[in-house]
Amino acid sequence: MTILELDNVTVTYEGSDRPALANVSLRIEEGEWLLVSAPTGAGKSTLLGLCNGLVPHFTGGNMSGTVTVAGRSTEQCPPRNLADVVGWVGQDPASGFVTDAVEDELAFVMEELATPPATMRRRIEETLDLMGIAELRNRPLSTLSGGEAQRVAIASVLCASPKVLLLDEPTSALDPAGADDVLAALGRLVHDVGLTVIMSEHRLERVIHLVDRIALIDRGQVTASMPDEALAIAPHVPPVIELGRLAGWSPLPRSVRDARRVAAPLISRLADAATPPAGPPPHTNDSPRYPVRASRSPAASGHIAVTGISLAHGRRTVVERVSFEVGGGGGGEVLALMGRNGAGKTTILRAVAGLTTPSAGRLRIGNLDPAAIDGPTRIRSIGFVPQDPTLLLYSSTVAEECRAADRDGGLDAGTTASVLEELAADGTIDANRHPRDLSAGQQLQVALAVVLAPAPTALLLDEPTRGLDHGVKDRLASLLRHRATNHGVAILLATHDVEFAATVADRVVLLGHREVTAAGPAAEVLSQSTVFAPQVARILSPLPVLTVAAIRRTLGRIETNRS
Amino acid sequence: MMTAESTPTRLVPVRPLSAVTLAVTTFVGIGAFVWPLLARPGQVGSTAAHQTDAPWLLVVLLPLLVVTILGEMTAGRLDAKAVALLGVLAAVGTALRIPTGGVAGLELVFFVFLPGGRVFGRGFGFVLGATTIFASALVVGGIGPWLPFQMFGAGWVGFGAGCLPKARGWRELVMLGSYGVVAGLAYGVALDLWFWPFTSVDTTFAFVPGEPLSENLSRFWAFHLSTALGFDLMRGVSMVMLMAILGRPTLAALRRASRRGRFDAAPLLVNSPD
Amino acid sequence: MDDQPVHPGAWWCWMLGLAAAAARTTNLIVLVLTALVVIVVATACRIHGPLGRSVILFTKIAIGVVIFRLVLQAIFGLRLGERVLFRLPALTLPEFMAGITVGGPVTLESMMAGLNQGVRLGVILICFGAVNSVSSPARLLRSLPGVLYEMGVASTIALTTAPQAVMSASQIAEARRLRGRPTRGAAGLRGIAIPVLEGALDRSIRLAAALDTRGYGRTRDDVAPNRQRTASVALIGGLIMLSIGVYGVFDTAAPVGLAIGGLTAGAVACGASVIVGHRTHRRTRHRPIRWDRRATLVAFSGAGALAASILTEAIEPGALDPSTFPLVAPTLPIIMAAGLALALAPLFVAPRFDDIEPDDARAAGLDIAESAATLSVSSGGDVR
Repeated sequence: MTILELDNVTVTYEGSDRPALANVSLRIEEGEWLLVSAPTGAGKSTLLGLCNGLVPHFTGGNMSGTVTVAGRSTEQCPPRNLADVVGWVGQDPASGFVTDAVEDELAFVMEELATPPATMRRRIEETLDLMGIAELRNRPLSTLSGGEAQRVAIASVLCASPKVLLLDEPTSALDPAGADDVLAALGRLVHDVGLTVIMSEHRLERVIHLVDRIALIDRGQVTASMPDEALAIAPHVPPVIELGRLAGWSPLPRSVRDARRVAAPLISRLADAATPPAGPPPHTNDSPRYPVRASRSPAASGHIAVTGISLAHGRRTVVERVSFEVGGGGGGEVLALMGRNGAGKTTILRAVAGLTTPSAGRLRIGNLDPAAIDGPTRIRSIGFVPQDPTLLLYSSTVAEECRAADRDGGLDAGTTASVLEELAADGTIDANRHPRDLSAGQQLQVALAVVLAPAPTALLLDEPTRGLDHGVKDRLASLLRHRATNHGVAILLATHDVEFAATVADRVVLLGHREVTAAGPAAEVLSQSTVFAPQVARILSPLPVLTVAAIRRTLGRIETNRS
Repeated sequence: MMTAESTPTRLVPVRPLSAVTLAVTTFVGIGAFVWPLLARPGQVGSTAAHQTDAPWLLVVLLPLLVVTILGEMTAGRLDAKAVALLGVLAAVGTALRIPTGGVAGLELVFFVFLPGGRVFGRGFGFVLGATTIFASALVVGGIGPWLPFQMFGAGWVGFGAGCLPKARGWRELVMLGSYGVVAGLAYGVALDLWFWPFTSVDTTFAFVPGEPLSENLSRFWAFHLSTALGFDLMRGVSMVMLMAILGRPTLAALRRASRRGRFDAAPLLVNSPD
Repeated sequence: MDDQPVHPGAWWCWMLGLAAAAARTTNLIVLVLTALVVIVVATACRIHGPLGRSVILFTKIAIGVVIFRLVLQAIFGLRLGERVLFRLPALTLPEFMAGITVGGPVTLESMMAGLNQGVRLGVILICFGAVNSVSSPARLLRSLPGVLYEMGVASTIALTTAPQAVMSASQIAEARRLRGRPTRGAAGLRGIAIPVLEGALDRSIRLAAALDTRGYGRTRDDVAPNRQRTASVALIGGLIMLSIGVYGVFDTAAPVGLAIGGLTAGAVACGASVIVGHRTHRRTRHRPIRWDRRATLVAFSGAGALAASILTEAIEPGALDPSTFPLVAPTLPIIMAAGLALALAPLFVAPRFDDIEPDDARAAGLDIAESAATLSVSSGGDVR
């Protein structure tokens, strides 16, 4: 039975001459799990917003065509009148909380729908169990972790007993464990409760084996098809599909388990080659050029030395006696700092940036103590991009931001602007726009330009890949590799995006329970970890390979050796 | 790059009934402030212990009036965007009050509902003033007997900011700044006027029922000069400084939010003939 | 003993009864005893979190008020009485300040008068501090009448967003330090305050979308139009009666009944109209705090203190208002003492501080400082 139907819908926002979505016709059956995949800004939030009336009642704009949900048309029904059939969870669930405790949050939607109190109590109990958050019921919302907050947000719309659930990037900000919890809960909802789930997601590798159909958005056009067909035309595919195409597997396996069943020949072929573990390439072919200050010799390379530091937050010890080094062997290096939520990655990064001082141990960047250097020296030695890049931006236009960055660093006028131009590549950023009006990827690019313009020797990035689509991630990866290899920059990256770390890191440090649990070359550490292994490593275990590109190079080498 | 706005956003329209309610409650409220200047002997409150009975009556009455006017203006008429904006701006005001703290320090907080009332209309300004004071009282210290007076006073300050004539650029800043100084001083006078009977019994400052207005007024003025005027002047000075430093970007940020939030989002639905 | 919190309205009734009793007297013994009763109950039944210590904060303010009042009395007080304590230099103010004479001899009687006034004000303040200590803001917001629902939602949003605004201010200050920009002075203030404001405004749009999609503002279409009209008429009528009442307060020629009658009737009419009229939104409440027998007991215990005060006034006029010129030692009327003892009743029915789990967010109520601290711990160590 069709639960949701879009009929020839076109949406144009005010002030825009091109439609955001054009002539969209889509039919979604009850109990279906649909994935929406598109680059940022292509209109996936618009598509989700159409399904519950946010577009156009909340966002404004011109809409033609009809959208019907469970028999109701969104033309007559604004989102609040559809709350009992459609639930929507936005990109940042924590900013959608309206009360202070979990149980109150769950009760809110039912209070608005005038549900009888007895029913409210029953539904709260059931929803707490369904989402696996029963022990959180009295917790203040500000103390929840990312995965818990996401599940509470889903629970809060679930209490209205909707038929359709709309989720905008539910796992993009979560570590692997948190993402697993959320996806497991969604699986229960679809298979046991019979809910229809429509979600958008960038990290396809986590979800393609779960969903029934994939909707791709390209230049305002939406095509929904079965996963195999969709993956054939999709611009970016998860590693398992890429590997399958490379190895010529048919039918293409979509999950690690399916892939392992057919991977044995490939594993033995690669093992026979007896080549050293393949690391990331020096730089990809389309790496942009960056202005290098004439006064700096290429030989001056960055070096971050962390020796036996202990860090505490109030009375709680976060890390104890942690040591590692970035760029020790002369020349640049990318080190990925990984671990679960709360392991201390951000704390360490902030200490290395000089924002806090360790209670024990020593920190050096080059020869300098990062906490002791002042403004201008700091800009030239350390570049720090925090989790929220907008924290670094405070001007009212992009052009002003670049000018301010030039002034701060004592650079020639226009340096930052030219760095930004090279970063942005296709889709140049309008210099007159307010930084907060940009997309997440564009904001990151501006922040990077500001930080990289003075050409610091050490670069620190805290979770840079949140909310980025594949295209931007690829460009970021090649930029980081280029800086490390050609400019000798020491790059310390805190992330739980396993695939990204696999493409970009030379070495990896795993943090767990206040100390370093593993450290070494990326291929070794990641392939041996159960939680942090990328898809390719899991499929081809126990081989220490991380990416499809590495396999391609290895196979190419085997061919040339043979000939 | 600024776009001229022909019709300013009015988030909380002031209906005729709301206007009447506001007028009457303010009239009663002002009565609560100025009664000592007008009181006659021989009525409620002549002996020492009962001299403060009449003001207590009004103290109990005023919360009810506040509830009435706020209920009349907001019940069923704040949509999701308005209530979210109200809550968030009140949060900013609350956050500002946390360091300056305490019972009195309201300079910074005033600065939130002046631009708020200016950009989003006078009804919103009133509600924003009252909500900010209420929410920040829940955080800083707690609810005291002065709270309804503060809420009323702040509401009127916000309302007034929404009534100011059109202006742009530095003229707007000057207008808002001077309004802020005047409003702050008036607020101080009003609060002191309320506080006066309670503290000045048996002093030479005490009002004497039945004496001509000018006599009582000069007594009050002496009281005010010696106790509170210093604070009020400081408040005025800090208001001017804040407006000079933060005025323009604050107004710009609020106007940008108003545009981006599309508060008057009237969607155009065109259905293709099917 | 029941662990559920007592309805905030009951606590307010209790407090108002005691505060009204304190407002009606300048008897130092009665006042001090009232303060003790209030402080004992508030300390025993306080909530967890910094707001639980409101009674202490307000007591400090009260002491400040007393001292201020004494100083005021010393400098500006009426020069009545015989027993001179010390002398201040006399000064005659110029004509534009009413030609008052300040300074001069300070008498015991005068100081006692000032002390009584100051302590009375102070005790009323302590009462307010007590009610803040025993009833958390979150509970209060959940018990608001339906007509103030929108205000309640906005206030809850304000209370939950404020710690994040504080957090983001410190994060932005840090980021500025990283870019080598000033964090103090005019430029620093602008560079920190404006991004905080903009972040908050961006968040408000996401918040509004979340509210909208969860049904906030749904209207019922079946509210009788007659009801609306009745409510408007009642409101206007109530306002008219209020105006009459206020006029009656100020005009001596009018009978006292006009004042009191007008004010009360007007207040009731206004209140009724607003509460009855706005029923276009129907909502239910999950686990509302019920008004049970304990609440009635708590409310009545406060009313009992007020009743005792009125009774004492009728039976022993002047006991509650001992004169200071000439100085008379205050005594404790028995009925008043009984009334104050009755006001200790909440000790036996309301949940005590020691019995409540601090982790329970509902019992502890909203706590800004702790929320901000928790936020910094979890977002400093986590990666969200």
